Amino acid sequence: MTAHLCFSSLTSLPNPPSISSSSSSTRVHPNSISFKLPSRFRSCDADRRRRSYQTAATLTMDSQTSGKETLETVPSRVLLEVKDLTAIVAESRQEILRGVNLTINEGEVLVGHPDYEVTGGTVSFKGEDLLNMEPETRSHAGLFMSFQTPVEIPGVSNMDFLLMACNARREKRGEPTLSPIEFFGFLSPKLAAVNMNPRFLDRNVNEGFSGGEKKRNEILQLAVLEAELAILDEIDSGLDVDALQDVAKAVNGLLTPHNSILMITHYQRLLDYIKPNYVHIMEAGAIVRTGDISLAKQLEKEGYRAISSA
Amino acid sequence: MACCCYTNFSSTLAPLRLRRPPRRRNSITAANPASVSLSDPFVLDIADKLEDSVSTSSSSSFSLLQKLRDSSSQSLLSQRWPSPKDELYRFTDTSFLKSSKILPASPPSIISPSLSSPASNIITLVDGHVIPALSRIPSLPAGAFAGSAADIPPGALYENLLAAAGELFHNGDLFWNLNGFGAPDLAVVYIPDGARMIDEPLHLRFCAVDAAEAGSGRLPLSNPRVLVVAGKQAELAIVEEHLGVESGEGNSYWSNSVVEIVVEEGGKVSHSYVQKQSVNAAHIKWTLVRQETRSSYELVEISTGGKLSRHNLHVQQLGPDTTTELSAFHVAQGDQIQDLHSKLVLDHPRGYSRQLHKCIVSHSTGHVVFDGNIKVNRFAQQTDAGQLTRTLLLAPRATANVMPNLQIIADDVKCSHGAAISDLEEEHLFYFQARGIDMKTARDALVFSFGSEILARIPFEAYRKSISHQVKELLTAS
Repeated sequence: MTAHLCFSSLTSLPNPPSISSSSSSTRVHPNSISFKLPSRFRSCDADRRRRSYQTAATLTMDSQTSGKETLETVPSRVLLEVKDLTAIVAESRQEILRGVNLTINEGEVLVGHPDYEVTGGTVSFKGEDLLNMEPETRSHAGLFMSFQTPVEIPGVSNMDFLLMACNARREKRGEPTLSPIEFFGFLSPKLAAVNMNPRFLDRNVNEGFSGGEKKRNEILQLAVLEAELAILDEIDSGLDVDALQDVAKAVNGLLTPHNSILMITHYQRLLDYIKPNYVHIMEAGAIVRTGDISLAKQLEKEGYRAISSA
Repeated sequence: MACCCYTNFSSTLAPLRLRRPPRRRNSITAANPASVSLSDPFVLDIADKLEDSVSTSSSSSFSLLQKLRDSSSQSLLSQRWPSPKDELYRFTDTSFLKSSKILPASPPSIISPSLSSPASNIITLVDGHVIPALSRIPSLPAGAFAGSAADIPPGALYENLLAAAGELFHNGDLFWNLNGFGAPDLAVVYIPDGARMIDEPLHLRFCAVDAAEAGSGRLPLSNPRVLVVAGKQAELAIVEEHLGVESGEGNSYWSNSVVEIVVEEGGKVSHSYVQKQSVNAAHIKWTLVRQETRSSYELVEISTGGKLSRHNLHVQQLGPDTTTELSAFHVAQGDQIQDLHSKLVLDHPRGYSRQLHKCIVSHSTGHVVFDGNIKVNRFAQQTDAGQLTRTLLLAPRATANVMPNLQIIADDVKCSHGAAISDLEEEHLFYFQARGIDMKTARDALVFSFGSEILARIPFEAYRKSISHQVKELLTAS
């Protein structure tokens, strides 16, 4: 199976990223990044796990990355670094990552999905080893991972959930926690940025939300947590054109020169709204091609087969 | 004082009476060893003490109560203390009661101001006695009555109530009869045909004041009893609250209460029931509901207190197009037992019922029991009955015994039931963690959210808020 990843950056980047498929390291600098990946790569549901992971994918990323040499000279600019990462599905021992430098499946692996097991390589986030961090520590470090199918949590209101998440982060940073009223003030502009009705705050987390509402809710959480690197896992799946535009608008509303977004997607369509700086193509658990948005366009025209045979 | 004894030991059990000359009792037991198997000395002992206590009580003379005592005493002596061999007590260990020295609660003397409540319509019962000083009902509709049965004026109302109270309930167990025999007072709520009392609920407050120090082995027993009658097309909302009011924390007592509710044709009763007894108390309660044609009854139960808490709920639909909705949320912490035995009998066409039972056991010695029986009899065609029970076991060795069961004889019905017992969903916890929320906060939020579905059904905001707050504190502290 094939998929492609695209990166687009809002700012012009001095150095193009270099992402190699088997042995070199990948650097991602603060900027927006988008990935297109085959859904099997990132899926965490059992259904998908059963399928074969022998797939080709393209990734596009929007980031500033450079080769190994520059990596050593400017280590402070490195946000996320994935080196020779290999991983398997813990249950079936099936290999899903084969020495990838910037991989997709880590979507889950990065936040520590218990069903996957890293077998080799390193991932460092802002110079710290990500693989040894607990999921909540990764979040506190400034990494955000959107869920492809966000779970519904009956009985917990969205407002309470966001407040808990926000205060957990503030506590970690040594900032005073917010009261519900203060929090509402903090939240209001963010609601507007992601075009969400405040009524959603009273509803239970994701319960009865439509596909687009769930995705926008993920983006709202990202806005609240103010993460430096967000991995948005197929945020365009299952959305119609209008919902996709809403989600894309929400993402664009959050972009600043100081944060980066890694997007994983199947389709070119999302990239019409969010422009990636870099595009990576992933195949069979390794990144095989890296380029700019033209790579995504080429892919759209010719399909994965052309890319992987090239 | 008179004591317990038998008149008759024929092979078919003839009606027994408690009032016997004291001397004959020993002679009969001695002379007739067969009687030992028919009577339970422990039950006799309690009945004996209760009889002493109610006959000294001044308010015991009115005939509604007398009638109740007579009928209860007849059944009482044929009943044994329940053992694990009895189906209804298979999983519910009553040895806490059996090993205690049970004494009737003494009549309330000084009324402590701590018993007052901000509720606007309230009837307070202290150890089973209606306390007029702590009761007020400003929004009682015309023609309605709420208070002690001793204060009912003679006339049509009295006759109506006598008829309603007189319908004997034959499936009452030992505790039902102990209550009927030992109740020192009878609180009555009567809403006449077409009247409404739903904007401001009527708060029925059951306070246990006479209590013994935990571990002393003494267990003061009170037998509060309430009869609620909602007339034709009448609407009534009640909030029933059980609590211990004592100087020391966690004192011991036994509250053995009965609430009977009659909903007449087209009537509507919304019933919220909150049980927050002391953690060293025993709370055994009967709720008996009789629903006439096109009536509706909704119960929301939140039960968190008591070392041993048993709720026997029996609802009978007596006419077609009748609606029953039952929800319960139980929390068993420490060494608590939370038990709900419910029985819903549908005998008529187009009945509707929903039952949702949820409980949390948060300690390894905690125990919940649920036996939910729904009987859809031959003539109950086109019944729509649903039942769901969900249990959250949060500690290793925490125990739940759930027996959801539907007995269906009618052949054109829609019925469903389900049971689930689990720990918290990993997927939910992971979602919290991925957003930077630590495990403890995530667990607390999820545990509370489990019960919030039931808490949200409490129809009055002020109660909903205060009860939710109390439950939250309880669950977070554990």
